[in-house]
Amino acid sequence: MAEVLRPQMMGARVSRLEDPRLLSGQARFLDDIQVPGMLEVAFVRSPHAAAKILSVDVEAARHLPGVYAVMTHQECPVMLWNKESYKVGQPALADGEVAFVGQPVVAVIAENRYIAEDAAELIRVEYQAITPVLDMRDAIQEKPRRVHEHAENVFFKKSRQTPGFDEAFAAASHHLTASFRTNRQTAVTMEPRGTAAMLDAASGRLTVYASTQSPHRMREDICNLLDIPEHLVRIIVPEVGGGFGMKAACYPEDVVVAQAALRYRKPVKWISDRLESLESDVHARDDIHDVEVAFDDDGKIIAIKDHLMADGGAYPAYPWSGAEGETGLAARVLTGPYDIPYLATDIDCTYSNKTPLGSYRGVWGPIASFIQEGLVDRVARHLNLDPADVRRRNMIRKEQFPYRNAARMIYDEGSYLESMEEALKLIGYEDFRKRQAVLRQQGRYVGVGISVFVEPTAMASSEAGEVGYESCTIRIEPSGRVTAAFGLGPSGQGHETTMAQLLADQLGVPLADIVVLHGDTDSAPYGGGTGGSRSGPIGGGAALVAGRQMRERLIKYAAHLLEAGEDDIELGDGKAWVAGVPDRSLTIRTIAQTAYMDVSKIPEGLPIGLEITGRYLPKRPVTFSNGTHIAEVEVDVHTGVVKVTRYAVANDCGRVINPTIVEGQIHGGVAQGIGAAVLEALRYDEDGQLVTTSLLDYLLPESTDVPRIDVHHIETPSEGEGGIKGMAEGSLIAAPAAVACAISDALAPFGGMVDTLPVTPDMVLKMVQDR
Amino acid sequence: MADERVEVVLQVNGREHRLEVSPRWTLSDVLRHQLGLIGTHVGCEQGVCGACTVLLDGEPVRSCLMFAVQAQGQHITTVEGITPENGLSPLQEAFRAHHALQCGYCTPGMLLTAQALLDRDPNPSEETIREALTGNLCRCTGYQFIVDAVLAARGQGRGA
Ligand code: FES
Ligand code: FES
Repeated sequence: MAEVLRPQMMGARVSRLEDPRLLSGQARFLDDIQVPGMLEVAFVRSPHAAAKILSVDVEAARHLPGVYAVMTHQECPVMLWNKESYKVGQPALADGEVAFVGQPVVAVIAENRYIAEDAAELIRVEYQAITPVLDMRDAIQEKPRRVHEHAENVFFKKSRQTPGFDEAFAAASHHLTASFRTNRQTAVTMEPRGTAAMLDAASGRLTVYASTQSPHRMREDICNLLDIPEHLVRIIVPEVGGGFGMKAACYPEDVVVAQAALRYRKPVKWISDRLESLESDVHARDDIHDVEVAFDDDGKIIAIKDHLMADGGAYPAYPWSGAEGETGLAARVLTGPYDIPYLATDIDCTYSNKTPLGSYRGVWGPIASFIQEGLVDRVARHLNLDPADVRRRNMIRKEQFPYRNAARMIYDEGSYLESMEEALKLIGYEDFRKRQAVLRQQGRYVGVGISVFVEPTAMASSEAGEVGYESCTIRIEPSGRVTAAFGLGPSGQGHETTMAQLLADQLGVPLADIVVLHGDTDSAPYGGGTGGSRSGPIGGGAALVAGRQMRERLIKYAAHLLEAGEDDIELGDGKAWVAGVPDRSLTIRTIAQTAYMDVSKIPEGLPIGLEITGRYLPKRPVTFSNGTHIAEVEVDVHTGVVKVTRYAVANDCGRVINPTIVEGQIHGGVAQGIGAAVLEALRYDEDGQLVTTSLLDYLLPESTDVPRIDVHHIETPSEGEGGIKGMAEGSLIAAPAAVACAISDALAPFGGMVDTLPVTPDMVLKMVQDR
Repeated sequence: MADERVEVVLQVNGREHRLEVSPRWTLSDVLRHQLGLIGTHVGCEQGVCGACTVLLDGEPVRSCLMFAVQAQGQHITTVEGITPENGLSPLQEAFRAHHALQCGYCTPGMLLTAQALLDRDPNPSEETIREALTGNLCRCTGYQFIVDAVLAARGQGRGA
């Protein structure tokens, strides 16, 4: 008999284990949590951008049949305030004033959502409106006023420059200036936010069902804010219908729901509707960059100076403001994949009377890439050089790794130039330029945009928090089947499959014998959760570390029971055998039976049972993925409509666990990037009213807006466990820039360049007319 | 504003249900909360996202925009109704094989829209498929693998 072949699960295109329940409508999302007696919450929210609250009258609501309770700040006196970082916090329910449209003011708790909403309409809040602070540049100058009397508007300020910057900048032969603007966008998960909470009848502990990316962080936040010890709180994360960074924060509504369950000793649930989502999910990308670039005659970029500004909204999201994340990291990776020796950055993040800024996939990246690639294209156009050539001249070369950039970030090895050449091939660049010339003759405007990106992943701290490691607890049950628990918080990434793939290889068991648990602080070992593209490299690393430890233990058992040397034992297909003698074998089940039931046979020095927790803390504080996106667009110069027609990606995220899953995430990020580039904007009017309050106003890409995306993988392993790098954000980091550059390229005959996202038809028409 | 109740008879996935509902309850709420058919998802309640799509006499409709009482007398099919007793339908299998779902929240609505398309046109082109899916928003997949799945499920019927 031939030796049993062990399939390599890592790198295999395995179908997902989580799919059957999702496809058959059996999966349980937050709104599917239902227990007898459960009450539902509706919030009364501020209709003003800025106002004093003169009075709140809840009596009529309180007396409506079916209403259980009405909560104001008095009943929930909690501040979501990270005092170490900010002078300002947000009260869970408004306390005397409101500072953005959609801010929660009163919570109504009733038998069902319909009644809760009826009652909410009976609540009378008297406001005295004050002048809202809405313009970012004005706000930085404290105009028209301070958002919070006792705190300066600018809440985060940082300047940094490479030594020798001024001389190098002045000495360069060419200089250009540009101002880039990205407009407010938000993640728009298809499943809105929601929270449910209840007391456990037996233990009296509080259970909070949360649609979040980070179960342990949510537990910490709830415990800190409500002053409950951690062992008395359990967080359960059911199926999560998309997160994209937006579900990494703890929100006022989470706290109110938990407080209501504690206070009234009833199960309580709140589910956001879409209007509430658009008003109160954290916003993102409200940034302005005033940039100067210095370069030489060959297009070699020498120095970049950037004044980065971000509008953080009314309060810092809890526990971090997205404005700080967007600018702070953009300032460190603004030079992207290019060897640009000098960088000077000044950051100003300001408060305003808009929704708080938090994280959305890519955080800093979509903005920084837009600027970095926009600058390269400006240099190319100024010198009349090919944009691909200017990129080649500036690209960090293989021999420069590990590379230290102008902001002192260390890049580990990547495939920067290689990825660009590959993507150029995929899109057929030479051929495209010919096509473009011909079409221009016919009055048709097509363009390509090249976006070469770097993606810092698996960072020691990220939107998912400051926990730099991840943990995996493996328990092989007496049956030989495997349960593995993680502190991750997946929202569609397929961790149940990818983590099982990694474990299957280590333990030599079939994929179907592994169940991956996550999202329950009672079963999961402590972990940081999902965000900042860390689950693959750090969570996967934990799977490999724990898997290896368990593998060693299984081998010790097998060697002992088969009376062979440990070096001769092989594992696979649910069995252990002596190398070259497949008949001398036993099943993992037999080992497990021994470990639990036949304990006198346990080898010397091994503990009873088969349970191990392994933890993984990467040695490097960050590992960089990279790649190149190229978009082809056609711009209708009569209507201003942009159509993305072709799209190519060369992606390098180190060793790939499951190529199909990686491709799926890239496709999704590209679609979001197309939305960011031409469709999505949250708009406020001059009174600070959000005017994009439905998905008819805030436009998401539809199936006809996204072209086929051609993805090619390159694998430059990281130095970390398994050679894995993160990859969830790179596609949204790169795509807006690719589309923006393509539009600039298409409209080159008219002279202008894109400097604002999203590019609306009006803006296109203006660029055409401004010729 | 008291919640008066009326009786309604709904035909859902081939079964008849006699229910007491408030006239203002949406079909999506009644399917989810009265009948426990949680596969129907609600993503906007504004008629835009398509997550709540069900079939009404074979045609895709948005169950968040209808009152349950309006569905009386028509045949309602939810994702539970296109799922065979054992395993998955050919379309569902194709979704799995082609990785047409990530978070899975849009998926039931996508399946029903796609199934209705395949029922009336067993061999649609990619363009037709994309057109048919424009009313179903997905934030995770970028649509490509969904389109691939529907292409692969052509000509296979509903199965079971
Ligand atoms: S929930 Fe019905 S269309 Fe969005
Ligand atoms: S799979 Fe998440 S919205 Fe479609």
